[in-house]
Amino acid sequence: MNDAPLYNSLEAVVQDDLFPVIDLALREGRHIASDEPAEFAFVREAQVFLEPLYRRYGCELVQVNDGYFYLRPSGDRLGRRHLSSAEMLVGQALALLYLDPATVQSGGAALRGQVVELLDNLVGKEKLVQALNRRRSGKRSERVAHEIVRREIDQALRSLARLGFVEVLEGERLRLRPPVLRFAEPVRGLGDPAAGLQRLIERRDAVIVEMEEGGDERDEDDAG
Amino acid sequence: MEDVHRTIGSLHRGGAKLQLDTTDLCFLVALRAQAERATVASFEDGVLVDVFEQVCDVTEPGAPNKRKRATHAIERLREQRLLARVDGAGLVRAGDYSITRLGAAIVDFFAGEEKLTRESLSLLTNILLSQLAEVRAAARQCDSAELWRSRVIEPLRITVADLVGGIERRQRGMDAQQEEIQAKIGDLLRHDWFGAIDACERLLDETATTLQELNQVLMRDTGLMLALLQEIEQAAATVDARDAEAAAHAVAEQVERVGAWGGERQRAWSEYYQYVQRYLRTVVRLDPQRALSQRLRDQLAGWMDRPFALCVAAVAPIRLLRELEARVERPPVERPRRPLDEALAVEAPDVAPEALEARVRALLADGVESLSALVRVLLPELPGHERFKAVGRIAELVAQDVRVPREIEREWVPVPAGIEIEDWALVPRGGA
Repeated sequence: MNDAPLYNSLEAVVQDDLFPVIDLALREGRHIASDEPAEFAFVREAQVFLEPLYRRYGCELVQVNDGYFYLRPSGDRLGRRHLSSAEMLVGQALALLYLDPATVQSGGAALRGQVVELLDNLVGKEKLVQALNRRRSGKRSERVAHEIVRREIDQALRSLARLGFVEVLEGERLRLRPPVLRFAEPVRGLGDPAAGLQRLIERRDAVIVEMEEGGDERDEDDAG
Repeated sequence: MEDVHRTIGSLHRGGAKLQLDTTDLCFLVALRAQAERATVASFEDGVLVDVFEQVCDVTEPGAPNKRKRATHAIERLREQRLLARVDGAGLVRAGDYSITRLGAAIVDFFAGEEKLTRESLSLLTNILLSQLAEVRAAARQCDSAELWRSRVIEPLRITVADLVGGIERRQRGMDAQQEEIQAKIGDLLRHDWFGAIDACERLLDETATTLQELNQVLMRDTGLMLALLQEIEQAAATVDARDAEAAAHAVAEQVERVGAWGGERQRAWSEYYQYVQRYLRTVVRLDPQRALSQRLRDQLAGWMDRPFALCVAAVAPIRLLRELEARVERPPVERPRRPLDEALAVEAPDVAPEALEARVRALLADGVESLSALVRVLLPELPGHERFKAVGRIAELVAQDVRVPREIEREWVPVPAGIEIEDWALVPRGGA
């Protein structure tokens, strides 16, 4: 077995055909997981050269034990954003489905309907409408409100798919991917969840957001 | 299968359906077992009723009127062609019944007797190879259509195709078995989270090993089978034995399908294997008390009260600058102004329209018969730049003064000044 490293310089990494694709994907917030063997192997092999490269942009190339990489901007050189309410709610529901042994039976596949059902049960229909319907004022009929919720969930799923948390398959089906466990990061271990969240905030992996009545959420940092 | 659309249409027209409750299904299984124990091909009415009562004692212990229920069950199974009456005596006396091919297939599925193992697969492929070798030898010697039919075509269509069909049937059984294993892994984790790891890994490994062994046998033996079939096909093609060639080709396609199954299932299982291993490693082993699900559930339920959001990198897409363009000042729309004190000029009246109208009327009064005749007379009298406009004006005047009969298609005719017009026949108003 040959244990020689695949790349011996940053130049060799950059020369690889996969570099531009993965570099752009990482900068756009995509998570590269072990269920994409070629891409994951590239980042793992090139990790020793990519880490200092991204550090110069004020970013950290993070490898998580669950089997994925992502880029965490800690300075201002590279843009960053926080996920929307819809993305956060849907992401946490997906993580719950990922943990469910019933999903193991289907090889990691779930249905959109399961996401909606889970959110309805855990967050409550009324709160869900309130959370996902924040930009729209005035009273809506139940049917319209549900249509808005469904649309927001679909949009969040598409966005989470671009970030590598889930793969949207044909019809109603979704394939849950390992990075979805990032949504469970604050409650990992048996410690205080608030302390877990605080740790994430300190390493700039998460922010506290403030839900405003009739408006979108904004960073507490920005609130001033 | 013959034309699938025709088959579906015929099933739809006939209202074909299958409805089996648990007792009926158990009844069929018990009958099949009885047939095998007693080595009989058919059952008398009384035996059927006895078997049904025994099944009923297990599935519905307190049910009344078991004999009556047995009669109805037999009737239901007959209607659905799962049991067939084989004595042909109608209602005259108690009948003899046998399980049909459909009934036997259902029992086989549930009884799971046709499992695909390395041994059963090797046995089947060895028989197949020896059969194909015999057919190949026959194909080299056949010198008449009758011999081709009896020694090549029929063995290929019946014996060989049935053997390959047997492998396919067992492959379907293996597919169902894999689904069961997936369900079992889910159940094991649900009931004994951390303690299920070893059992899950064992199930995964066993299935992976079985699939690998099966694929090895299939890869080795299907290659040999295809080589034999190709030789048979070539021998048939040499003497232009089309039916034999087609029969060999059909079996080769069936064999290719059987061979492809192994690779596909092994690949699919490998993906599932990796997924479950990852799950066991990153979810189950890291959370032995299965607390994460509940903690995440609580986090989601309370998220609205203490919302937080994950951060991701978000580099804006590269902005492409447009070409520099000097700003063009567009002048406002204006009307040329005329001096208010300008003296008025005297201009001669334009009498041309009236003159044309008078000429048209005069010619119509003379009884001109067509528009083209009228135009041919008038155009040369007008200045060149007026002619095109004048044609339209003439047509308008004509339409006012005479009747233009409707025609299905009017002819286009040339007139002076290089113009073509649609010709009208002209009838004076009040004329025929």
